[in-house]
Amino acid sequence: MDNKFFSFLIDNFNTFLSYTGFENATFGHIVMLFVGLLFIFLAIKYEFEPMLLIPIGFGILIGNIPFKDAGLQLGIYEEGSVLNILYQGVRQGWYPPLIFLGIGAMTDFSALISNPKLILIGAAAQFGIFGAYIVALQLGFDPSQAGAIGIIGGADGPTAIFLSSKLAPNLMGAIAVSAYSYMALVPIIQPPFMRLLTTKKERVIRMKPPRAVSTTEKIIFPLVGLLLTCFLVPSGLPLLGMLFFGNLLKECGVTRRLAETARGPMIDIVTILLGVTVGASTQATQFLTVQSIKIFALGAFSFIIATCAGVLFVKFFNLFLKEGNKINPLIGNAGVSAVPDSARISQVEGLRYDPQNYLLMHAMGPNVAGVIGSAVAAGILLGFLG
Amino acid sequence: MKRTAIFVTFFLLATCSYLAEAQSTTAMKLNEILVVNEDNFVDDYGQRNGWVELFNNSPATVNIAGCYLTDDKNNPKKYMIPKGDMKTQIKPRQHVLFWADDKASRGTFHLNFELDKEKENYIGFYNTDGLTLIDEVVVPVGQKADVSYGLDLDGTGKWLTLTKVTPDTNNKTLDTNDKIENFQHNDSRGFGMTIAAMFVVFAGLMLLFLMFKLVGKIATNMSKRRALQAKGMTAAATGENLGEEEDVSGEVIAAISAALYQIENDAHDWENTILTIRNITRNYSPWSSKIHILRHLPRK
Repeated sequence: MDNKFFSFLIDNFNTFLSYTGFENATFGHIVMLFVGLLFIFLAIKYEFEPMLLIPIGFGILIGNIPFKDAGLQLGIYEEGSVLNILYQGVRQGWYPPLIFLGIGAMTDFSALISNPKLILIGAAAQFGIFGAYIVALQLGFDPSQAGAIGIIGGADGPTAIFLSSKLAPNLMGAIAVSAYSYMALVPIIQPPFMRLLTTKKERVIRMKPPRAVSTTEKIIFPLVGLLLTCFLVPSGLPLLGMLFFGNLLKECGVTRRLAETARGPMIDIVTILLGVTVGASTQATQFLTVQSIKIFALGAFSFIIATCAGVLFVKFFNLFLKEGNKINPLIGNAGVSAVPDSARISQVEGLRYDPQNYLLMHAMGPNVAGVIGSAVAAGILLGFLG
Repeated sequence: MKRTAIFVTFFLLATCSYLAEAQSTTAMKLNEILVVNEDNFVDDYGQRNGWVELFNNSPATVNIAGCYLTDDKNNPKKYMIPKGDMKTQIKPRQHVLFWADDKASRGTFHLNFELDKEKENYIGFYNTDGLTLIDEVVVPVGQKADVSYGLDLDGTGKWLTLTKVTPDTNNKTLDTNDKIENFQHNDSRGFGMTIAAMFVVFAGLMLLFLMFKLVGKIATNMSKRRALQAKGMTAAATGENLGEEEDVSGEVIAAISAALYQIENDAHDWENTILTIRNITRNYSPWSSKIHILRHLPRK
């Protein structure tokens, strides 16, 4: 064995080393890996939206394993790579409407149908979107970027991804991660503002139990909902169309198989793909920017505005309602969507002040109205700025 | 009744499929025409000739193979666009150029007629049947050299002499985003957008609210009427009873239903005035049960 052979081996070893993650790691990669681990920790330890944070957290780990850019078709941004192919569902906006189909097939709109005035709370909470839009403009984002950032306040991950993929594809990773992170942190963000804006007397308001809703009404809801909202905002069609279609599958009673698939295996598959690819899209080189930090700050701001707007709107609405028909303002926060977490928070906060006051069913009304409201708002932004 | 439903469904499907077929090729529009080409675009053979540009005015790919282009109203089938060439699939909002050089043997995009500057030039684009006219235009006589006649906006707009020749590309070049600039100029703080958008959000959900308030009222009245009919009573005779029925809350109904269900299914033990759920022991673990690990069979 001569020296040539050894130098050949050493060269090969060095080449191999140059391809490893250890050689290519940057500070950004390490930071993002910790963020991914934090997401997984929060999901497992505190059960913060585990269905989302586990795939996203693991996706962040996948996306931030450092490697040499040698055209091996590994990264999510390399055309033709497996991750890139799966990522097309996010980029092209296929996944969000499919998620909405599943949401429609699993959502019971009875609370909303039995007490339709709760729909308006879902509209009020959309102030969060436009509050963040205004601030984003002041921070130097252009109108389409500001619109895409504002939608974080809609607290609806699929809507945020759908709109940002159309208006500001370069910001989509940050917007999606921000939206899902804050949705997971709803139990921490919302309660202080709910308490701050309500009096003790208001927190113990007991609402009338919802009336029984007939099957016919449940069937009419998705049909009328689709026609009314989409005639007004056709650009919301992909999301609203699938949402109401899924709901019709559930309620019509003759497509049980389709409804079960939509709300079961299909939404699970799409959630996995969406979560992992959104997470993987946060490659440190693309993600760790000043813009991303601004987007995270704006996301928190829009959630707070949306929560406050929902609660304050209920208080305002109560001025016009008779005694006995009043709404507990603790369900105002549920207007931000984040189904069903924000409704659950209404329930928890309600029980804290009156152990017999169950607000969950009432809060589901504005909660699902928030989903419709944020899809409508996304349609408007797309129509105006797209 | 069933036959009528089948017939109506069939008719609707047939209509839809016809419209879908028709929509694809009808999206093609004559877009720009250059009659006299002296110092302009050259073809693959390095020749300068007049040309006809088509534009796909739809968001879907359109295959124009088998369609016809002609310069003679009485002969719509003068030039058939050959089949079997992938290049005849025109992508959404894209253009395709046909050379009017009377040399069809040179390929798919070379027509078997020329444009004549001494007279009006009629150009017609016909569907695959050679009968259905999709688009037509008459280019006025006296066209100047290297000045094209086209639509001021691609696929729509008016026919006029264009200020610049734009073969195989947009007649109107969009080098700015008008919408965004408009917002930046007129609504730099975003208040206008907020007011307009919140108005639309409220309007949309208000419509839903009003609609379901109405639907709810109708449904409540109908269910009351049905309940009365079941009891054999009239609404007038039992006006007071209606109010009493309304006072029964959902929780009470749920509790009564649960109790009845348990009695019917014998799901509880009787003890002295105490209702208990019967304890059922399972000899197997649900984790090992096949029923829990296999996908359930569809029920409907």
